[in-house]
Amino acid sequence: MALPGPRSGQPLLEVENLQTHFRTKDGVNRAVDGVSFHVNAGETVAIVGESGCGKSVTSMSILRLIPEPPGKIAGAIRFQGKDLLKLSDREMRQIRGNEISMIFQEPMTSLNPVLTVGRQIGETLRLHQGLSAREAEQKAIEMLTLVGIPEPARRVREYPHQLSGGMRQRVMIAIALACNPKLLIADEPTTALDVTIQAQILELMRDLKHRVGAAIVLITHDLGVVAEVAERVIVMYAGRKVEEAEVGPLFRTPRHPYTQGLLGSMPKLGSSLHGEETRLAEIPGLVPSLKAKIPGCVFATRCPHTTDLCRQVAPALEEKAPGHVAACHYALKEEALAA
Amino acid sequence: MFAYVVRRILATIPVMAIVALFVFSLLYIAPGDPAAVIAGDQATPQDVERIRASLGLDRPFLVRFGEWVFRILQGDLGVSIFTNLPVTTMIQQRLEPTFSLMILTLCLAVTIAVPMGVVAAWKQGTLIDRAVMGFAVMGFSVPVFVVGYLLAYVFALELDWLPVQGYTAFSNGLWPWLENLILPAIALGGVYIALIARITRATMLEVLQQDYIRTARAKGAGQRSILFLHALKNAAVPIVTVIGIGVALLIGGAVVTESVFAIPGLGRLTVDAILRRDYPVIQGVILLFSFIYVIVNLAIDLMYTLFDPRIRY
Repeated sequence: MALPGPRSGQPLLEVENLQTHFRTKDGVNRAVDGVSFHVNAGETVAIVGESGCGKSVTSMSILRLIPEPPGKIAGAIRFQGKDLLKLSDREMRQIRGNEISMIFQEPMTSLNPVLTVGRQIGETLRLHQGLSAREAEQKAIEMLTLVGIPEPARRVREYPHQLSGGMRQRVMIAIALACNPKLLIADEPTTALDVTIQAQILELMRDLKHRVGAAIVLITHDLGVVAEVAERVIVMYAGRKVEEAEVGPLFRTPRHPYTQGLLGSMPKLGSSLHGEETRLAEIPGLVPSLKAKIPGCVFATRCPHTTDLCRQVAPALEEKAPGHVAACHYALKEEALAA
Repeated sequence: MFAYVVRRILATIPVMAIVALFVFSLLYIAPGDPAAVIAGDQATPQDVERIRASLGLDRPFLVRFGEWVFRILQGDLGVSIFTNLPVTTMIQQRLEPTFSLMILTLCLAVTIAVPMGVVAAWKQGTLIDRAVMGFAVMGFSVPVFVVGYLLAYVFALELDWLPVQGYTAFSNGLWPWLENLILPAIALGGVYIALIARITRATMLEVLQQDYIRTARAKGAGQRSILFLHALKNAAVPIVTVIGIGVALLIGGAVVTESVFAIPGLGRLTVDAILRRDYPVIQGVILLFSFIYVIVNLAIDLMYTLFDPRIRY
């Protein structure tokens, strides 16, 4: 069992001014453009935002899974004080699947169809803990039991196509947790699953987090999931961080108009069928192209409160309340008006 | 699985029947009268007629076809018009050199071509990739006999490393056997290597885009394990299929290669038989080659289950 890291002092993961750019035929795509955040040991941090906001690219950049070229990662990603971007490929491989592991969105395609489940779980154990094939299979059976798969001794010899989507995501979790990582990155782990299975997988992740003591970075666009499992939330838009806060304050008093829009577009139980407002609120427009440098606020084209200032000057991230930052010129003012 | 194998073997019967019908019709389609050829220049029309009757060439087509098939099923491929030896004996004498050449070429081609294709896909767009693809185009476009003569000239005549031509039976030792076959196998393998390398590269490129490759990387797997375990096993089915289809190339190429390197195999036998219009021999050899092709491809189909657990028969 991994010991929980030091609560005070240095965070487990510190991402500083992360820039992941892709060279394409018609210019550079700034998928992630200057994002900084940290994750403490044992903490669950959610990164939310709509499709194309750079949240998946951020998570893949941490493990350096972005193909380079055409991608290029700059900035610093310090994990336990070491800058991952400065490690050799070999050193990086020792981190992947061992100290930092990852669960992906698509359980149907993320497992290798021609290798047994046991072999795929055992692979990390053999790579990082030097177990023999037999020991790895034993441990794989234990892991399958841990993630709640019935008849693990039989399942361990089966292939992914013999398992349902929910079971496959459980296997992915088993792979990710096999080496007791200190950080688990979950990229939309429940998006591809149906609702009842989603709840089971979230419950499992929460349960295992307590047992293993890993910190979690949860990438999602589902605010319901965020409210359920995260402690702190980072809102991303167009490759930037636009707001960050503890989960309570963020849901109660979202500062950035984008976050307000996101929360406003969430369906509430019972509200959609009756009453006058039967239509869900939406954020008009589309995420801007990331190929052109945006001079002002990235959200200016879609924001209901846009002024000339927003179009010309990019707002810096400011602490609007203790532990609550947002990148908006007017965020404080609105609060003052509301008060 | 067993039922499938039985079904597949039964399915080869109509295929072989069609091949047999075609092979048998050769005698009627091809120009020239075999009876006249056997009788020679000095023969009178009566002599030719007598020979024709003795060969049974004067009786109806279907009757003769039926009799012929019946004899083949008993293992009798007839008697060579030219040597008067049973065709089965003649084929048996020539079997070893050809099989040696084909199997060596197959092994050589697969061990060279598959890694070539894998590396080309891994290094897509680089100089290595382009070199492999360039080699593949060359392999396709330069004929076997050109490569064969070139190899013989450089490695046998100029450098004197290997014999120019001939064949030594395997029973005389591994090296004598091998040294005669290396050059022919390389010459024959060129096209085959090009074909396998190309399909390996194309399939690998597709597989390397898959999500499970990203998963393997996220687990900390090394490049070699990603390429040769995670990716290649997924790419195996198309590659193995092409290896099977390519056996036809080997059969066709063996005829030319054996002529270039003076190997006394089935290819030479075929060429000689065609030149002499020795129909029973031609028929026997074609039937044998067709049979080998059908069986190899059946074996390949069965091999799919080794690589892909989703395929069940």
